[in-house]
Formats: sequence, C-alpha cells, structure tokens
Amino acid sequence: MKRPRRVPASPPALGPAQASRSIQTRRTPTRVVAVTGAASFLGASLIGSLEEDERIGRIVALDVTATPNAGKKTRSYDVDLTQPAAEARVAEILSAERVDTLAHLAFLASPTHATAWAHELESLGTMHVTVAARHAQVRKLVLWSHTWLYGAHPSNPNFLTEKHPLRAPLTEPYFADKIEAEDQARKLNERSPGAIVTILRAAPILGPNVRNAFTRYLAHRFVPTAMGFDPLVQFLHEVDAIAALHLAVVRDARGTFNIVGDGVLPLSTVIKLAGRVAVPIPHPLTELVGAAGWAVQLVAAPASFAKYLRFLCVADGQKAREAMGFRPAYTSREAVLDFVSAQRLRDVRLLSENRA
Amino acid sequence: MTHKKDNLESNAPAPPTSAEGPRQTEREGASLHRRRRVRARRAARVRGEPPVSAVEPTPFSEGMEPLSDPNIADRIRQLEERLDQMIDARARLRDATGQPLPMSPARPERLPAYAAPEPEGVLGTARELLSIDFYLRQWGRLGLRSRSEEVDEFGYDPVYERKILPFFEFLYRRYFRVVTQGLERVPKEGRCLLVANHSGTLPVDGMMLRLALHHEHPQHREMRWLAEDAIFHFPFLGSISNRMGAVRACQENATRLLDRDALVAVFPEGMKGIGKLFRERYKLQRFGRGGFVKLCLRTRTPVIPVAIVGGEETNPLLARVDYLTKAVGLPYLPVTPTFPFLGPIGLVPVPTKWKIYFGEPIHFDRHGAEAADDEILVGRLAEGVRAEIQSMLNRALVERRSVWFG
Repeated sequence: MKRPRRVPASPPALGPAQASRSIQTRRTPTRVVAVTGAASFLGASLIGSLEEDERIGRIVALDVTATPNAGKKTRSYDVDLTQPAAEARVAEILSAERVDTLAHLAFLASPTHATAWAHELESLGTMHVTVAARHAQVRKLVLWSHTWLYGAHPSNPNFLTEKHPLRAPLTEPYFADKIEAEDQARKLNERSPGAIVTILRAAPILGPNVRNAFTRYLAHRFVPTAMGFDPLVQFLHEVDAIAALHLAVVRDARGTFNIVGDGVLPLSTVIKLAGRVAVPIPHPLTELVGAAGWAVQLVAAPASFAKYLRFLCVADGQKAREAMGFRPAYTSREAVLDFVSAQRLRDVRLLSENRA
Repeated sequence: MTHKKDNLESNAPAPPTSAEGPRQTEREGASLHRRRRVRARRAARVRGEPPVSAVEPTPFSEGMEPLSDPNIADRIRQLEERLDQMIDARARLRDATGQPLPMSPARPERLPAYAAPEPEGVLGTARELLSIDFYLRQWGRLGLRSRSEEVDEFGYDPVYERKILPFFEFLYRRYFRVVTQGLERVPKEGRCLLVANHSGTLPVDGMMLRLALHHEHPQHREMRWLAEDAIFHFPFLGSISNRMGAVRACQENATRLLDRDALVAVFPEGMKGIGKLFRERYKLQRFGRGGFVKLCLRTRTPVIPVAIVGGEETNPLLARVDYLTKAVGLPYLPVTPTFPFLGPIGLVPVPTKWKIYFGEPIHFDRHGAEAADDEILVGRLAEGVRAEIQSMLNRALVERRSVWFG
C-alpha cells in the first residue's frame, strides 16, 4: 500500500491552549493508545506529541511503513487495512496490547485515481477497525473526518453545525468513503454503548509541512476558480489539528465535533495571499474542465470538487470549544500565511520537498 | 532532509556560517561578482600588497571603526580563504556535472524581484516591463487594493464597499432621492428586525435601506440584510452582495446576527416579491412560512414594519417568461417595457421617487420562545405584520401625488 504523501518527522509544538490543559485528572499511567495510519502526517505528529505526554503509557502504531516518530513508548506493527484478514489481525493486536484508546487516522488527505484501493482502505478499513475495536473492547475510538463532508451548497448556512446532514456528493468516492467511515463509527457507538466514539471533522489543514488536496491546489502558479464566485473558506493550522487530536485522545468527549480555525476569508484573498494567479472559468464549464484536468492529472482534485470553488462550506467550531475545550492557536488567515511562508521557499527550491 | 525542524529553521535568515555553505544560494550574478572580487584580492595577496578587504567599505562595515587589529584582519583573511575554497569547490563540481548544484535555484530568473537590485535606466525599465513577473505582481496588487485585510464572519468587506459605494450613493441621493419617515422608531442599540416589502426586478432596496439607516439614523447604525438563496446561485451577484453586507437568508444566519445585537432587515416576500407583475405592485405576497416570526420569538427581537414606496415602479414587470430559463439557472426571464428589447441597458431602473416609512415596533414578548413551534400562532403573527405593512403602503400610496416626484 502506498501513501499519497510521506510525512515529516517531529511534531510541531502544541498550541498554548493545549499546554495549559495538560494538568488533568490523573489516569493510570499505563494507558495504551493505538494509532492507525501512523506513518501519515497526522499519525506521526500525534505519536510525537503522545510520546511526550506522561499520561500515556504506551503507543501502538499500525501502518504499512515505519513511523518516523517512533520513540521509546511506541511499538510498531505492520498492518495493511486493505487486506481481508486485517480485522482479525487488528483485533489480535488491540487485545494483546490492551488498547484503551484507538485513533483511526488511516485516511487519504487528497483524492486519488486509485479509487478502488481508496475504498478498501477508507470504507472497509474503517469497518475492519471498528469491528476489531468492538471485539477487543476498546474504550474509545477517535475518528478523523472532514468538514468538506457537509458539502458545498448555496443553501448552506454560513456556519454549519454538527447537526447538519452530510451532503457531500456521493458520486465522488473520496467523500462517499469518508461518509461511510463515519457511519461505521456511529454504528460502533450504537452497538456498544459503553464505548466512547469521538468524530473530529476538521477544516482543510494548512501549514508549513502538511500536504493535502488544498495545498496541492495552491501549489501551482495558476489556480482555477469559478468566475464570479468567491466563497468564504476557513482553515485549520496543522498545529491545531494535532492539538485537537491529542485533546480528543486525552479527554473523553463523546460525539461529533467541528475542528476549525477562527475566522473566514474569501477564496480570492487566499489565492492573492499565496501569490497565485486565479484563472476564472465560467461556472458551467468548471465540471468539464475539472474532469478533463483530473483525467490528465493536471489538477489536484476531480470535477466534483468544483462546487467547493463556488459555494460555502464553513463549519462552526463552537461545540468543540465548549465541550472539548479546544481553542485554535491560529486563525484561518494565520494558517494561510504560515503555509505561504513555507510555500514561497518551496517555489524557489530553498525548501526540500516532502515528496509524495 | 525532510525533518520539520530543519524546514522551520530554514525559514529564518540563516547566518552565513561555514556549516551553511552548501545552502548558500545567492543569484548567479551576485556570486560571479563576489568571485571576481575575491580573485582580485587573491591576486593582491600574491603580489604582497596589504589586504584591502579589511577596510573595504562593505555594507556591513559601514559606520564601523576601521579595522586595525591585526588579529581580526588575520581572522578575516582565514575566513576569506575558506570562502574561496568553498567557491572553488562549487565551481569544480559544477564544471564536472555541467549543471548547477541541487540546492542552488534551478531557475535563477524566477527568483522574486526583491533579491535583485533594480535595473537602472531605460533598458532596465524596458526589461522589467517585458517580464511576466512584473505584470503578475501588478495584478496581485490591483486585486488586493480593493479588498480588506480581513472580512467579518459573513464576508462583509468594508474596503470593497467603500470602493463601490459612490454608485449607490448616487442612486440614493440623486436618482431615487430617497426620503425617510419615522426613523426615530428604530432603536439606538440592540437587536431589531426590519421587515419590508420587496420590489424591483433588480432588487436594490436592501442597499437603499442600509444607506438610509447609515445616513439618516442618529446612531448611523449598520444594517445587514438577508438575501434570498437564489442570488447565491448566480455568478457575481452573490459574491458582490455578500461583500456589500448581504447575508443568505436562513434561520441559522439570522439567529447568529441577532445574537450579536445586530440590526437586520428581511424581505419575507422573497423571490415572489421580486417577481411581482406591474399590476400586482404594492400588493404584498405571502410572507413565506413565517420564518421571521419564529426567529423573533426565539431571539426575543422586536419587529419594525417598513414600507418602501417607489421601488415597485423601477422596473415594471409585464410578464415572466419561464420557457427554457431553468436551463441557464434563472427562475424566469423578466419582461419589462425595455428589458429584452434594449438588452442590458433595458435593466436600468426608472428614476422614481422613493419614500421609506418605518412603523411602530411590534413586540412578541408576551409569547415565550416555545411559541415558535405553534404554527397557528406563528401564522397569525406573521399575518398581523403583513397587514400592518400593507396598510402603511396603502396610506402612503394615497398620500403620494406623483410616481416621479413623490
């Protein structure tokens, strides 16, 4: 199994919000946390930050490649979630290690042409993981999801809450698989009511190191936009993303949470801040151009993403703020600026690329 | 070298230490220049002349004492020799491989312009004007000049509004000659919902109401208005009105605004109001499903009925043609005396005289928030507001002597 992106090593420092919350009710120091997708950016960074948390006794890393951040506490296992036997193997590892919390992060950060493989990994992989978690009686499951699953619609309110239905186009496998994954997690919640299921829906992540669909979109000098449309967009800084994950692992917050940075900004401003040139495409043609561009691998995402260039898909982070105590350290704008500062260096080849 | 720490550190201006040697990435021209200077110094050293470099006015030695200490001069000489060796090593490597070193910029001409000294004279100007980068830079500057640094959470952009406002000011003062009556009934502060009749094939009444409150109200209150979903389907219309202060009409957005004690205007007739035929002018259409009443009940907001007279004659709608219009995303094609026949010029509104009446505030305080679920009550309250606006309109129309002069 190949990953769409390789990941940098050491985790960024936690935000100030996180640091202040490290005083917590003392649990047993031998708490075991398992992380799937441990070699991905989020997985590796989470492991890095859990390594430094004395409340965590052991970390179990599950992935097909070695975790770049594995420290003393980490024990790595070679698990391929696309294999039919993955369920038994994960269950075996989870019960042998007596895992308390499972962070399921084995998701793709950008769409792939290998949709069948992605379906096996995301939808069926999550099924394997949730079933295994139920067998091994894991106390808590943390699932990483995306605010894009709400879908971009002209009828969206400016700030979508967690109660809003997921209306992303189901014809797009990238979204359909992730929605199915969320359904699997909810099913686990129903079947074993004792288990805590936390779903984190994150806004597009930006930052100096992360690679995903949106950073690919902004990586080119000429950036396609929909003519006459300028939706408001929001971002989450990578540091905040890791802080939110850490918080979800350490604290017990049941339910679904939007994890977003504060503030919104128009897409056109993002493109200008990144020093890119917007190429406006008349909106009836965006789907066509997108499909053609995706077919020849010129654009970063398939045609169904064109809607996100036209309509709002912004989530409200109030619930995470109140119930989880998550406070982002970076606003959306600051996340863009931080990404741009690294991207500028990448543009002039001063920063070595984290090759996909 | 994919470690984050290294990446982060390379963001900072690295000191030119020897460890950073292979990372040195000046422009080709600059390094050539430096090499020439170093060669000259080396030649001088061979000739036995004293090293000039110690007292040479470099950018760093400006305003410093001339270096007289022989130790320091020695140190500098050593450093220079190391630099020479490094430069030579790089040159050898380049000669051997025939291509630039991996860490040096592969396309030096693409470096940002601030790294280069500005070229002088006509030739330099011409060269700058011929480069694509110049136009890209200008394009970026132009684009951001008319934009705010930050927009509010609903996308209102004050700088953009200031740019485009003179046009609406002209409409407000000279074209429609808007006058208001009863503005003192709008509270000085706190949440309040203005409910008005909707009109005009191209609705500018939201903007006129906003300007009226901004200019005439003693507190110059900022008003946000809720626009129907339909405009957000269309290019330009949605994004421009969004930057001007319009917010998509839905309960969540309105609640959020009112919770921040904003002054909000709604046009409950919605698209049906815009699409009124000329013979139906000033006959209020159905008030949606009473959503604004539910909103007021939940957020305990007073309603001020507003009657806008004059707006409904600006683009007299004779017919709505709805053949094949769905294909281009329009609900119907408006037919006015001028519109399809004169092309886009036909959409220019007629300069009628506008008058905006503000009614007495209506409070729903005696009903609790749970009354929002009582559909019969909500319908009755909405109908009451509708009747109030209708009677205000009727009175105003009786008073009015001329469509053009009020």
